Amino acid sequence: MGLLNPQNFIYALSLALLILIYLRSRSRPTVEVSSLMLFDEAPAPVASVRHVRIDPLFWLEMATLTALTLAIAGLYVMRPRTPGHGRIHALVFDLGAGMSARDRSGTRLDQARRDAIEIINQAPPGDEFSVIAYALEADARHPQTANRADLRNALGDLVPMAVPARTAALQAALIRARGASEIDLFADRPPAAAILADAARVARLNFHQVGSGDSNLAIVSLDPGIPRSTQGRAVIRNFSARSHLCELAIDLGNSEQFHQTLMLAPREQVVVPFGPLKTGGVLHARILTPDAIDADNDRYAYAPSEQAAHVLVLSPDAAVRDDIARVLLAVNANFQIETADPAGYLARAGASGASAKPLELAVMHDCYVPAAGAASTLLIYPPEPAKNSPYASPIGIFVNGTLVSADIRSDAIGQAPAIESLTLGATRIVALPEWMDLIATASGPAHSSIPLAAIGRAAGGPVGVLAFDVRDHLLLAPDHLDALVLTVDLIKQLTAPRDILIVPTGADVSVPATATARVTQPDASVRTVTADKWGRVRIRPLQAGRYTVASGGQTIQVFANYYDAAESDLGAKPQAEAKAPAEKAAASNAQSAGEVQPLVFILIALALLAMTIESALLIGHAGRWGMRHV
Amino acid sequence: MLEARAFEPEFLRKLDRLVLGIKRARTVRAGQRALGRIQGLGIEPENFKQYAPGDDLRFLDWNAFARFDELMLRTYRADRQVEVTALVDASASMGLPERDDKLGLALAIGASLAYIGMADNDAVRIGAFAMHRGAMKLDATPFHRRRESYLNFRPFVMSVKAGGETRLGAAVDQLLLQRRPAGTVVVISDFLVNEGDAADALKRLVAARHDVKVVHVMGEQESTAAYPSGLFRVRDVETGEVRETVLGPSTAAAIRRKVEKIAARMREICTTHAITYAQAFGAGNLESIMERELPRLGLVR
Repeated sequence: MGLLNPQNFIYALSLALLILIYLRSRSRPTVEVSSLMLFDEAPAPVASVRHVRIDPLFWLEMATLTALTLAIAGLYVMRPRTPGHGRIHALVFDLGAGMSARDRSGTRLDQARRDAIEIINQAPPGDEFSVIAYALEADARHPQTANRADLRNALGDLVPMAVPARTAALQAALIRARGASEIDLFADRPPAAAILADAARVARLNFHQVGSGDSNLAIVSLDPGIPRSTQGRAVIRNFSARSHLCELAIDLGNSEQFHQTLMLAPREQVVVPFGPLKTGGVLHARILTPDAIDADNDRYAYAPSEQAAHVLVLSPDAAVRDDIARVLLAVNANFQIETADPAGYLARAGASGASAKPLELAVMHDCYVPAAGAASTLLIYPPEPAKNSPYASPIGIFVNGTLVSADIRSDAIGQAPAIESLTLGATRIVALPEWMDLIATASGPAHSSIPLAAIGRAAGGPVGVLAFDVRDHLLLAPDHLDALVLTVDLIKQLTAPRDILIVPTGADVSVPATATARVTQPDASVRTVTADKWGRVRIRPLQAGRYTVASGGQTIQVFANYYDAAESDLGAKPQAEAKAPAEKAAASNAQSAGEVQPLVFILIALALLAMTIESALLIGHAGRWGMRHV
Repeated sequence: MLEARAFEPEFLRKLDRLVLGIKRARTVRAGQRALGRIQGLGIEPENFKQYAPGDDLRFLDWNAFARFDELMLRTYRADRQVEVTALVDASASMGLPERDDKLGLALAIGASLAYIGMADNDAVRIGAFAMHRGAMKLDATPFHRRRESYLNFRPFVMSVKAGGETRLGAAVDQLLLQRRPAGTVVVISDFLVNEGDAADALKRLVAARHDVKVVHVMGEQESTAAYPSGLFRVRDVETGEVRETVLGPSTAAAIRRKVEKIAARMREICTTHAITYAQAFGAGNLESIMERELPRLGLVR
């Protein structure tokens, strides 16, 4: 027995109102009599009499209101399930990285799969099931069907992803499951109470928590350092509540650079220095000690080449040129940097033709010089086309105006560094071409969202854009570190090798391709993707490891790293607010063997019966005492 | 309203055979109240007496003188009419409980007694009393003697409304101030007044040589305490005093006991002063009261 809509039980307040009305009315009636002399010997009223002695009309009204309240609140009883009733179930699975954690009996997803199959086996033949999965977003894996073989196949196809399970995705999955009369949610940690309560309004929700172990190590970050210059660092974290051994190996290409076994205290995070590396390349850190989640045991980073690379910095402001040069050297000390005023550079370039040295990167501040001919270009504060300048407009990038100031918004797109709200100076309002990916946005007067940082691959090479001005030593100001972080991030992405991409799992990756591309995933599966009109294919790595994109005789490697502190922390206790619904849902599981039978009609019938009896009593009362006493 | 019943021909026919139980005294005896005590020029012989100097020689019985050789004087009963006043309590208490129609019952009894009194061609009137704005208001009809004029009472009877406080003593004071000859006064009231006030008023009427008769009127609901049960505030309609009480079986029993006490006390007062006391409880019993109860008590014959 329970309530389908417990919040409607608030109508029980009407009972309190009835009692108040009754007590008040009991104290009110006044009867005029011929003389109080007649009442001289009547017993004096006792206080308790006023509150305790209640007449049948009151009890009938109480019964009526109680029945109606319970009917509104959805009182139901469980009754044995009738075969062939044809109920609809939704099986909702969490496919976040936590579900790949191994216990003694396999992964958590395996356990959830077994539980789901048991539910399917116990269901009457007429019941139908749908399979919905969620991690970054909700996905209906199998539509509603009564075919058990198809359902088992759909369950068998579920694979955990190396991404955290998002709350929004869970909500979307529960919304998709709303057509079902019963929802079975399988996850390794209880969601927020409000989400469960919201879903329970439209369907019966059973939450199944799977998994118990908490033994997990993770590589939090990997910094290769600068070859031959500075040490690299790997940050290792123990999420277990007990000490844990960690055998760490770091490879550069095919050669092992570092190998060490560490003892990590409970929930300790350590920084492991190594190097400096002798040469650049793809650095691969591995935890060799077995633990629960594999996805966070590997991490890739790219160590820049130790060979000199030429970088051109153009800006009409000498101080800006100096600041950018400092930042570039901080990113890679092997950069050979040439700074110039754009007007002077144009005259020199016109006189001597193309630059003799191939440029790795051209950084242009408040100017655009197409003749620079660099492999990649970073535009900072691109010039306005209306400005009567000798420069041409950057290809595909249009400047529509300038804001005096703008605030960086924290809802940065993709995997840009976490950015707090920060006020910048002058900022260009730029319109980006479709082939560019937005990294960060800003808001300003009369503009809720304008692009602040973006990167894309044009035909001539990668192009990055920073819309804000960096004059007045903005990049070196300690109060504007976020602007510096955005700049460094873009420089790193622009100077990375063309055939190597290192991205976090779940990020959208754009890779140049011709016509079609063969994508080989970390589990060695291969799929073919068609390039879009911009000559690129987009992939979204959902597993940690190396992806290979082969197209037109060119091969690009995409290394996907996974780490999420919340998802990897298997020992995290559920929130207090989430514990109650979890227990409640667990309790409801015991009842799930039965079928809900609402008692609405019975309760309404009882209310009508009580009202009829009350009416009869009132009629009799009126006949006996007159209407004044009713 | 019940008072209209007193003017219905069918009801009046039942009263035709009744007469008021009035003591018409032929002699004056010490310690005895009597009406028509003065000798007069009546036609009904009453007694003989020895002649005394100064007696009217016209009443000498010459036959007796011839037979007994004594001067005997024949006396006659004075042929006098008795004034009958039906004094009805019209205070507010007579209006409640409404369904009891106590005032209607009292007026009907008063009018009926007036009709009966007219059988002997006695002078009859109906009066109603109640306090009005702090002063006693005693309204009464003129005296009527013949039954043909009975319907003259109707406008007055139908116009009486309950209201005001009961002050029996003040009403008697006002009645005695009219200095009417001693007659019959029928007091019809619920007597929900101070015991001393009622006893004192009746005593003064008796002292003025009136033949006093009391009809104690109570409603059926009032006397049986048939109120709905529950917690109520009861308000005295005359004084406005309010009291909270629980109406129920125990309260009803207490009220019934109180009614019995009041009736017993009134009976005791009336017995003490040789006043005829009759109870008229319940408006539904008007006919049985008039035909059986009042004759049984000697109020009518």
